[in-house]
Amino acid sequence: MSVNALNRLCREVLRDHAFRAAMKDNPAKAIEPYNLTQEEKKALLAGDAATLHRMGVNDFMMGYLARFGACGLNVPLYAERIRSVPH
Amino acid sequence: MAKIVAAYGLPHTPFYPSQVIEEGPSSPTGKMFARARESLIAARPDVIVIFDTDHYNTFFFDNFPILAIGIDERFRGPVDEPRGGMTVYDVPSMPKLADYLHHRLVRAGYDVASLREFVADHSVMVPLHFVNPDMKIPVIPVYISGHVPPLPPAERCLAFGREIRKALEAWPENLRVAIIGTGSFSLEVFGPRINEGKTDSVPDPQWAADVCDYIEAGDIKTLLAKATEDRLHAAGNVGGELLNWIAMFAFTETRKPDFLLRQMEQGHAYAGWRLD
Repeated sequence: MSVNALNRLCREVLRDHAFRAAMKDNPAKAIEPYNLTQEEKKALLAGDAATLHRMGVNDFMMGYLARFGACGLNVPLYAERIRSVPH
Repeated sequence: MAKIVAAYGLPHTPFYPSQVIEEGPSSPTGKMFARARESLIAARPDVIVIFDTDHYNTFFFDNFPILAIGIDERFRGPVDEPRGGMTVYDVPSMPKLADYLHHRLVRAGYDVASLREFVADHSVMVPLHFVNPDMKIPVIPVYISGHVPPLPPAERCLAFGREIRKALEAWPENLRVAIIGTGSFSLEVFGPRINEGKTDSVPDPQWAADVCDYIEAGDIKTLLAKATEDRLHAAGNVGGELLNWIAMFAFTETRKPDFLLRQMEQGHAYAGWRLD
């Protein structure tokens, strides 16, 4: 598991505007430099917030994906998916 | 010696600066921050010490201190593009005083990390935006880890605040100091308990109301007894921000606030104490 890499990637969506645009337009290519497992790549590219949450990715970090439209996410879609986590 | 002239508890909701521009100074949020600003300006502080929980912008998971203090001539923020936008400020600080506090705290047994050439996010900058116009008053940020488990115990945060108070009161120069503690009592941000279609929610409004009641009564003893780590997490994934208020209570102790303005739909409040 490389949760820290996923958290760092999400933070780059906030900090690096070129990466932010790439994560919106072509996320599969944008995440290539990151050392992620196949499972992590699959969850990330699907915008599967519930699975990412279960993997330990921080909620604030995933919020950047939703705020900036990365991996096909937007706020309502993100909310629907994260709310599926039992709580 | 330094004199503590005022203390405030304030929220830092990221979209408030843009919301108040849009809705005007007579909007509920505009008026609540104005109450705190008028009080703080009337207290004429030479420096503000603010207790805050960083939202992963000053620190990150690979190196996340429980307690930290910013020591530099200036710092910049916010660096996290708060929703709706806000001015990015260059904030003056007081490195000599911050360095003195760091030394005093470590020698008193508090393993406080020191920060230099640092930046701040909306959690520091939103309250300052409203109560420190044009950032004319120097600011020293003091960080308490209130999001990432394990949280420091509430008693430890109060004792930490008291140690800062003792150190300030022993500072050899005349100085007027205002204290701010910032954060929510109940709030979930981007976590599983957010509302449908939204970025946040208030999972435990009753807890937020109870916290306000304790503050209004000056009953920090009961609040401290109830503010366990499990209780804070149950109030939302940023419920631990109450620890910043608890550190601030070291300066107000059991005094009732001059004002306490509840904003329960956001799970937080605005409170102020003039202490001079």
